[in-house]
Amino acid sequence: MAFWEIVFFWVGLLIYSLACGGFVYSFVFRNPRVMPKMTVLVGLGFLAVTAAIIARFYSTGHLPWSGHYEYTLMGGWFIIAGTLFVGWQNKSLQGLAVGTLPLVIIMMGYGYMQDPGLTPMAASLKTVWLYIHVYFAWLSFGGYSLAMAAGVLFLLKSKSDLLEVPNPSYERFPCTERLDELIFRYVVFGFITDTIMICAGAIWAKDLWGSYWAWDPVETWSLICWLVYGLTIHLRVTFGWRQKRLAWLAVAALSTVIISFFGVNLVVNSSLHAFQVR
Amino acid sequence: MLKKTLKFLSSLRVTIVLICLLGSVFIIGLWVPQIHLVKDIYLQWYRSSPQLVGFLDALGLTTIYSSPLTITLWALFFLNLALVLWQRMPVVRHRIAISDKNIIDPDKATGYPFKTSFPLPEGLDADTVLSRLRKRRYRILGDASGFYAVQNRLAPVAFVLFHISFYLVLLGGMLTVYTEFIGYLDLAQGESFQGELNRYNATPAVKLPAFGSPPRVSFSVTSIEPQVVLNTPTSISIKVLDGQGKSQEVGINTPYTTGPASFVFKHLGMAPHFVLKNAAGKVVDSALVKLDVLRRMPDKFELGGYAFTATFYPDFVLDGGKRATRSREFNNPVFFIVAERDGKKVGEGIVPKNGTLEFAGNRLEMPELRYWVRFYVISQHGLPILYLGFAVACIAVIWRMIFYKREIVGVVREREGARYLDLAGRSEYYKSLAEDELTKLFTKITAK
Repeated sequence: MAFWEIVFFWVGLLIYSLACGGFVYSFVFRNPRVMPKMTVLVGLGFLAVTAAIIARFYSTGHLPWSGHYEYTLMGGWFIIAGTLFVGWQNKSLQGLAVGTLPLVIIMMGYGYMQDPGLTPMAASLKTVWLYIHVYFAWLSFGGYSLAMAAGVLFLLKSKSDLLEVPNPSYERFPCTERLDELIFRYVVFGFITDTIMICAGAIWAKDLWGSYWAWDPVETWSLICWLVYGLTIHLRVTFGWRQKRLAWLAVAALSTVIISFFGVNLVVNSSLHAFQVR
Repeated sequence: MLKKTLKFLSSLRVTIVLICLLGSVFIIGLWVPQIHLVKDIYLQWYRSSPQLVGFLDALGLTTIYSSPLTITLWALFFLNLALVLWQRMPVVRHRIAISDKNIIDPDKATGYPFKTSFPLPEGLDADTVLSRLRKRRYRILGDASGFYAVQNRLAPVAFVLFHISFYLVLLGGMLTVYTEFIGYLDLAQGESFQGELNRYNATPAVKLPAFGSPPRVSFSVTSIEPQVVLNTPTSISIKVLDGQGKSQEVGINTPYTTGPASFVFKHLGMAPHFVLKNAAGKVVDSALVKLDVLRRMPDKFELGGYAFTATFYPDFVLDGGKRATRSREFNNPVFFIVAERDGKKVGEGIVPKNGTLEFAGNRLEMPELRYWVRFYVISQHGLPILYLGFAVACIAVIWRMIFYKREIVGVVREREGARYLDLAGRSEYYKSLAEDELTKLFTKITAK
C-alpha cells in the first residue's frame, strides 16, 4: 500500500466506524438529531476513501479493479456513493447508511486482511471488458445493498410503529409504504445492472478463456443470484409479495450476492474468477 | 386432461418451482466436484472415497449440468416459458391497445389510486397543458372535456422481448454446443500449423463437433514475447502469420480468430533447442524441446538415448550456494539439467543460453532458447445468435423495468368560478412513488 493510501484508508475506516456507531446510538437512544451529523461524517469518510483510491491509482498506474483488497475498496466506495446519492436526493433516506455502513466496514476490513500490496495490472485484466463487467457488478452490488438497507429500515420502522410510543428516530424515514416501493426499486436497479454484468462477463470470458460459459463457481453463483432476484421481482409483481415479506426477501437475497462476490473463493479454489493477479 | 396439464405447466407457480429446482441443481454442482470441470479434484476424491463417488456417479450428480434430470428441468422451464408467453400474448395486446374507451371520468375511475385536482391559472388554457404533457412523451386521446394520456404504452412488449431473448440464448447455446470443436495445441516460436488433427495434444482429448468439421486454418508463430513486471505477468505478445501472409498480434484477451475458430492463449512454456554431441564433437541428436517448467516444477525430455530432467530458473542466482530465482522475470534464464541413463545419474549442471553441459564424455549444448505457447482451440457456430440474445435481454429488461407504463385520465372542470384539472393516475409497479412523480409533473405543467 502507498503511504497516503494507508493514511486515508484508516481515516476513512475510522470515520465510517464512528458514523456507524452514531447511527446505532441515534436508534438505541432515540435521538434523531444525531443523524444528519452522522451523514456529514459518512460524507467525510467517503472523501477519505476516495483519496485512498486516488493515492493507490498514482502508485500503481491503474484504478483498483483487481484483487480482493481493491475489490472491496472500490465495491465499498460504490455502495457508500449510492447511499450518499440517495440521501442527497431524498433527505429522509439518509438513514439507509445504517444498513450499508456495517456491510462496507466489514468488506474493507476483510479486504485489508487479504493482500493489499501494490501490483501492476495483470495481463488477463487489460481489456475494456474489465471496466464494463466490474463496473456493472459494483452497481448491482450497490443496488442490492441499498435494497437490503431499505429492507432493514422497513422492518425496524414497522416494528417501531407497533409500539405505543414509536421511536422518534424512525420518524425521519419515509413511511413503510414508500420504503416498500423503494426496496423494489433498488432490486430492479440491481437486477438490470446484474443482467448487463453477466452478459458482458460472458462476452469477455469468450475472449479470455475461450468459452462464454464454463459453469465456473463464481459464474454459477452469479446465475443463482440473478435467478433469486428475478424471482423476487416475479413474487412482487405477480404474486403481490409486499411489505415484510419483500423486506425479508431483500435482506436474505443479499447473501447470494455476498457468496458470489466473496464466499465462493473462500471455499473453492478452482474458480477462474480469482479477482486477483494471475 | 391435456388442457389441465397445459394449464398447470403454464402457471407461474411452476416457473418458480422450476427456478428453485434449477438453483438447487447449480448449488449441488458447486459442492460435488464435476468430472468435466475439475477433473483433478474429482479423481483425487474418487481415489479417497470410491464408494461414495461411485454412488454419486450413478445418480448423475458428478455430471449434473448435463444430467438427464437437469436437461428435463431446462426443457420444462422453456416449455413453461413458451406457454406463459402464449398465455400472456392476449394480455399484452390488450394492455398496449388504446381507444376512446380509455377516456373515463377521473372521479369514477377504478384502478387509478392517485386522484387529485389542480387549479388552472388564468390565461393557461387546457390545450397548452395537454401539449406540455405531449412534450413529455405522453400519448393523448381526447381533449380538455375528457382525456386519457399514456406514457410508455408499449412497455408490456418488452416483457415478450425479454422472454424471447431466453430462446435466442438457448438457440445460440445449443448451436455452439453441437458445432463445438475443442482441442489444445502447443506451438513454439517458428512453428507452423496447417490444421492437422494429429498435431493437437492427445490429452485432453480433442472434442469433435456433432455437426460440422474441425477448423481449417493455416498459420505460423513468428514470435513470442512475454512480459513480467514485479513478478506479475503483465502481457504476452504472440505474432502470428496467417495463410495469406497477414501478420496478427495475439495475446491474453485477444485470441487469434479465424472464421468461427478462436485460438486462445492458455499457457506459456520454454522451448530450448538442445544439441547432443559425442566426445568427437559429432552431433548425436538435436531437438527443439517444449518444456512445461514455468510452474516451478521440473520437466523431462529424452535425447540420444539419455533421459534429462530440466528445472528452469528465469532469473537465476546462487543464494548461499543454492540454486534460486530472484523473480519470475526472464532476466537470467538458466536450466539446471540432470542427465540419466538406465535410471542412473550420469551428470548434472547449469545450462544457460549458449551454454553446455559435459557428462559421460558427451556435451549437451543449448544454442537457442525460445518460448512455446499452448492454445485452447475452440470453434463454434451460433455465437451471433447468443450475443443477440444477450443484447435483447439487456434492452428488454431496461425497457420493461425503467420505462414502465404511466396512465392518466383527466378533465377540465369549472367550480366556483375557477377552472380545475381533475386527474386520476396510475403506474405499473409503484403507487406512492408514482404519486410523487405525477404531483411533480402536474405542478410543473399547470404553472403559468
